Amino acid sequence: MKMILVRKFRVLILMIFLVACTMHIMIDLLPKLEKRAIRSDGDLGCTCSHNPNEETQGWVKQRPKNTAETGWPNKHTLRILQDFSSDPSSNLTSHSLEKITGNVDKNEPFKKLEQREMIKELHNKHLIHDGSINKIQPGTGYSRLANLFQHPLYLSAIPTLTEDDVLFNVNSDIRFNPKAAENPEWQNGANEGNEEVEFLPTGEAHVDSYPNWLKFHIGINRYELYSRQNPAIGGLLQDLSTQKITSVAMKSGGTQLKLIMTFQNYGQALFKPMKQTREQETPPDFFYFSDFERHNAEIAAFHLDRILDFRRVPPVAGRLVNMTKEIRDVTRDKKLWRTFFISPANNICFYGECSYYCSTEHALCGKPDQIEGSLAAFLPDLSLAKRKTWRNPWRRSYHKRKKAEWEVDSDYCEEVKQTPPYDSGTRLLDLIDMTVFDFLMGNMDRHHYETFEKFGNETFIIHLDNGRGFGKYSHDELSILVPLNQCCRIKKSTYLRLQMLAKEEYKLSGLMEESLSLDKLAPVVFQPHLEAMDRRLRIVLQAINECIEKHKYESVIENDLDSNLSDK
Amino acid sequence: EWIPASKLHHLLSHPLYQAQGTMPPSYDRLLSPHEIMKSYKKRVTHQNRKRRGPRFEGNRTIPLTDSKSDPPAPWLQFHMEIDKDALYPRSSPVVDRLLQSMGNMMIIGADHTPDEKALNGECDCSQIVKPSGTHLKLILRFQDHAKAMFKPMRQSREDETPEDFFYFVDFQRHNAEIAAFHLDRILDFRRVPPVAGRLINLTSEILEVTTNQELESVFFVSPANNVCFFAKCLYMCKTEYAACGNPHMLEGSLSAFLPSLNFADRLSVPHPWIRSYTFAGKEEWETNPSYCDSVKTLPPYTNQKRLLGVMDLAVFDFLIGNMDRHHYETFTKFGEDGFLLHMDNARGFGRPFVDELSILAPLYQCCLVKEDTWLRLKLFTLNEYRLSDVMRESLQNDRLRDVLTESHLVALDRRLQKVLEVVDQCVQTHGTDAVIIKDAAPQHKTDQ
Repeated sequence: MKMILVRKFRVLILMIFLVACTMHIMIDLLPKLEKRAIRSDGDLGCTCSHNPNEETQGWVKQRPKNTAETGWPNKHTLRILQDFSSDPSSNLTSHSLEKITGNVDKNEPFKKLEQREMIKELHNKHLIHDGSINKIQPGTGYSRLANLFQHPLYLSAIPTLTEDDVLFNVNSDIRFNPKAAENPEWQNGANEGNEEVEFLPTGEAHVDSYPNWLKFHIGINRYELYSRQNPAIGGLLQDLSTQKITSVAMKSGGTQLKLIMTFQNYGQALFKPMKQTREQETPPDFFYFSDFERHNAEIAAFHLDRILDFRRVPPVAGRLVNMTKEIRDVTRDKKLWRTFFISPANNICFYGECSYYCSTEHALCGKPDQIEGSLAAFLPDLSLAKRKTWRNPWRRSYHKRKKAEWEVDSDYCEEVKQTPPYDSGTRLLDLIDMTVFDFLMGNMDRHHYETFEKFGNETFIIHLDNGRGFGKYSHDELSILVPLNQCCRIKKSTYLRLQMLAKEEYKLSGLMEESLSLDKLAPVVFQPHLEAMDRRLRIVLQAINECIEKHKYESVIENDLDSNLSDK
Repeated sequence: EWIPASKLHHLLSHPLYQAQGTMPPSYDRLLSPHEIMKSYKKRVTHQNRKRRGPRFEGNRTIPLTDSKSDPPAPWLQFHMEIDKDALYPRSSPVVDRLLQSMGNMMIIGADHTPDEKALNGECDCSQIVKPSGTHLKLILRFQDHAKAMFKPMRQSREDETPEDFFYFVDFQRHNAEIAAFHLDRILDFRRVPPVAGRLINLTSEILEVTTNQELESVFFVSPANNVCFFAKCLYMCKTEYAACGNPHMLEGSLSAFLPSLNFADRLSVPHPWIRSYTFAGKEEWETNPSYCDSVKTLPPYTNQKRLLGVMDLAVFDFLIGNMDRHHYETFTKFGEDGFLLHMDNARGFGRPFVDELSILAPLYQCCLVKEDTWLRLKLFTLNEYRLSDVMRESLQNDRLRDVLTESHLVALDRRLQKVLEVVDQCVQTHGTDAVIIKDAAPQHKTDQ
């Protein structure tokens, strides 16, 4: 009898023992875990799960504690949520962020105060306005590019900035990342060996010691994403292609595979891997929405945008990434990690998880483990600089058979002109700038565009997501130019620059070739693509001339240069 | 040195291809003619009645054509000639007529395959190896009531399988289907159903003759104004784009249907040397060199005839470079002695510069080969019967030009040499008698 009782209770006793053990271990570990969480909040680590809903919920739960403690939400959770693309499918992420920003805004008065100080500092230090992105190495001889940037058309200054014209507050951004502010490590990548870090007597890091990505964020204003002479942009491009990658996560929401890479200096970038060779063209039967996203198009678009002096594309650099050491070994994303395999040719491959071309058939393979890709610098966190997503009025139908309204209605622009925000300011003209930009690259996939909410409607539009440009060099897609044809209006500054780029001594293809030769992946685009840009430029000028013939010069060419001068 | 004007004719007049036999007894035939004819007439009437339905109620302007009842139709004769030894007799005029008719007869119907219908629209994009029903292929019906499987062109002749592709994600090539049929006939296996190439008008020969609305819905016009259609699942998963005509015409392969399973049931048998169908997994045969010893003890491979059939299949697959042979089929009626059907060869002829030796594993692990197969293989090494030349000549009979590129033809000669080297090695280790097996049953006496 006794034996049976003992046997009966043996299981129970064992259970109790186990529970006691577990609790003991938990109690013992909890403080350590907590400590570690505080210490490593700069570490992307556990936040790389990529379900946006999960993310947000997790953060919301966490928020009261965090805000109470530091007044600022967890930086890296937000960074991942940052909506970089304008895909309609990623609206979810930007929507969820609106709530977050609402909370941050409570600190508005505090922020304003800091902002004023920052602007003073900006102007005193001439942080943004000295140096040059395009310092050509000595001894390289004549540079078309340097010549171009010395032309008066490329020297006009933007209006004087007030605090409302500056996007970003130095102190608030640095506070968002207190770890980064204290950590001298961020400098290692940029200038190895320079161990000396300047600190202000107060213990705050000096603006000059900020990492380039932060300087880039600080430089964003109402009129441009970066100034022509911002030295941080050159440094940022350098960082993107050399900084140590500390963690990798998959970007959710987008249609094609993109990875979010975090660097040693806490900067982040969007990685698009190479999917096609330089010589491959988009097959003629592919619709624009089935086209591949090309890493080299992203790089070339940044350079083209700079040569056109728009400066509305975030800096993008090419990079040869080691798939094993720089992706597989540093990701904690199981879904991504699981898709790595070794191909029959003994190359490392992976395909990730996304809705377009994420399958074995479209696996991305290294040779044997190196893969090319583009790294696009992240824009400032949405929690600090909210962005607005606008539907492009000339958006395509994204349907195999249906046509969009603008394709059937030749007076479509009249309608657009009367609709806010196109009825005032420079928005319509900015849209035409973008049209020219897209036509030169052959990008038909411009369904949305974004602006910084802080600047309202009087601001430039950001040219994000250019991966679908440079797909066909033997074809000029005239339908991209429809907004220009229908509206017959263009900025004078743009018109003059386009005319200049058509001249032999400033030939667009030559400038692009020179500019792209500075990238690690040079030659970034296949030569025929460069020649196609010259051809398309002539088509654009022809279209403008036809407009001028039809209407008056003054009604087509909007004089934006004088207003600049008067501002001075 | 004398070189015959037509190496193909010269080959077919070789004694190895001339062994005459008596008509096979009726029990060696797959089908009984009376039963077949009766059911065939019934089916034609039924089919025509069914097809008249949608013509009246629907909004179609193009009337559907009736299928004609035609007893000497080549496909029917092809079915009736299938016997215990092969799908069709040596140098059969019926096969040539069948190829001819598939190449030019009017197409009166098109539909999805039963495989695809069985999937019921389900599509799991996370599946790495997708079921065969997801691939782009259609069933076409001809005016003489024959049916054929249509596989459209997906790759140009010069395209190769990318080096990082696994066998289970390789493309399906229509020209591989055609070439595999010709090779099989030249090797005198006669185990591949006849396949003909044809330029198909996607609009008038498929879209306008189908009564399946699902099939109509996968057609669209591309930005280049070409007519395209796609495999629903693969298109949805973005693993594959549509197949497009230029603007209407598209090349494809048509392989003749075998008799309905109602009359001639078939057994689908997993290949003993099946691959893992995973990225890293390995099957037992890949690590165990004496794998064949265990296969030999398992039925139906205790029957040496079946095992020799697997050897023939390995040689055939190695020559075309097909790594995707997970199953083979046999006719139930013929039991274990029956021949193996070599169907679904669209994944062959993908890499002209790579010889995948692992396909020959059955041969070098078992060290067995049929004597007549071996004799024929040796014949093709002679200049006057060179395999590549005979193939080139044979493929010229197809409507599609240059079914195989030169490098694929050259690869055949090179691979043939490797097969014979493997056999030689076996002979050196085990002796001729243990390796080269004389046919137990007097097989080639029953031909024709």
